[in-house]
Amino acid sequence: MAYGTVQADVIGTSVAGSNLGAGDASMLKNRIINGAMVIDQRNSGASVTNTTSSIYCVDRWFIQGSVSSKFSAQQTTTAPAGFVNSWKFTSLSAYTPSGSDYFQAIQAIEGYNIADLGWGTANAKTVTLSFQVYSSLTGTFGGGLTNSAFNRSYPFNFTISSANTWQQVSITIAGDTTGTWATDNSAGIQVRINLGVGSTYAGTANSWQAGGYIAPTGLTQFVGTNGATFYITGVQLEVGSSATGFEYRQYGQELALCQRYFEQWNGGSQYAPMGMGQIGNGNGFTYAAVPLVYKRTTPTVSLSSLAGGTIFSAYGTNASGGSFPWSGNITVDTSMTGNLGIDLQSALGNSTAGGAGTCVYVILRANQYIQFSAEL
Amino acid sequence: MYKLLNPSPKAIDMGFTEPNMVLRIANNAFIPFNPDNTDYQAYLKWVAEGNTPLPADEVKA
Repeated sequence: MAYGTVQADVIGTSVAGSNLGAGDASMLKNRIINGAMVIDQRNSGASVTNTTSSIYCVDRWFIQGSVSSKFSAQQTTTAPAGFVNSWKFTSLSAYTPSGSDYFQAIQAIEGYNIADLGWGTANAKTVTLSFQVYSSLTGTFGGGLTNSAFNRSYPFNFTISSANTWQQVSITIAGDTTGTWATDNSAGIQVRINLGVGSTYAGTANSWQAGGYIAPTGLTQFVGTNGATFYITGVQLEVGSSATGFEYRQYGQELALCQRYFEQWNGGSQYAPMGMGQIGNGNGFTYAAVPLVYKRTTPTVSLSSLAGGTIFSAYGTNASGGSFPWSGNITVDTSMTGNLGIDLQSALGNSTAGGAGTCVYVILRANQYIQFSAEL
Repeated sequence: MYKLLNPSPKAIDMGFTEPNMVLRIANNAFIPFNPDNTDYQAYLKWVAEGNTPLPADEVKA
């Protein structure tokens, strides 16, 4: 190439007036994380059953129900062309929702990740939600977009006309010009997939409304048919008035995006090294656990066990040259927590340990785990 | 069910005097008293509903 010649590639967009990243340009256009259901740190494909609390299944997605044990959810390898996973729901009874009943799957999108949409202002941008579904049932299904205060709602519906057949769904939604939509590290938009809803949380289809509505009225009640199945994957929420191709991210990128909200360390079938700790004034030791990804907020730390001798091992060499392996329980130092790291400590001593200041090699034992959760 | 957790000896040295974390017993979850943490928000809701956590163990200085 001769000096003085400039060549450039151009990434076009089909959305008039939009910026790079919108339309067909595949640059983090999808505001949904784990829309292809490929990451499942907690359950590794195992099924979970709904309770009245929020239960996370595949990463970033959780399920809720007003009555326990009406449906289950799990990551599967049943998927349409171009995907390897989907999220499967199975109805566990024939339950007729009424009144304030609700059964749903939700992803809460962090406010930082939708701040540019301008929702709650006159400049609110139009978005399109798209996904692929497959169900043993036919009929009209739906869901909704809401704010975190659950006082602004856009219920939407779609039709499944052929059972056990993958089909693409696309819903275009004009941005909400009123209401309060978080633009910080709290929940911005909540994307809801309805599996059954009573009249209290059923609104008018395809319009913005004040109040909290999960889905429109008149839908097929998935939890009403025992054994019914419903699969979903390829969920994408993007700026613009048309659905573009699904944004495939590299696995490592998707995992890292998930880990801002949840991260699990596994001991595996053998022992896994966690890092170096140091013996304190007693024979116990302190270990600074630093998650791989900076968290949305100070995380909750869950341990697979608090029982002594099960979760970790530590090894070191004392002043006389003798090794001192030991294991015991571990706790979280309540003073030493933050978005960046957690101070784990063991009060269990070892009579042959090397004394204060001695470094120890800390290992997560087989089949044990430590979880860091900063979910929305 | 939850249990309050007292500051550790190290935390006491740093000036902490009140419980600043709660243990969710069902899954060994240490929940920080941070208003952005949704587990803490759920704990506050649980308390507001009239529930009371188990008391913290005696502080060991």
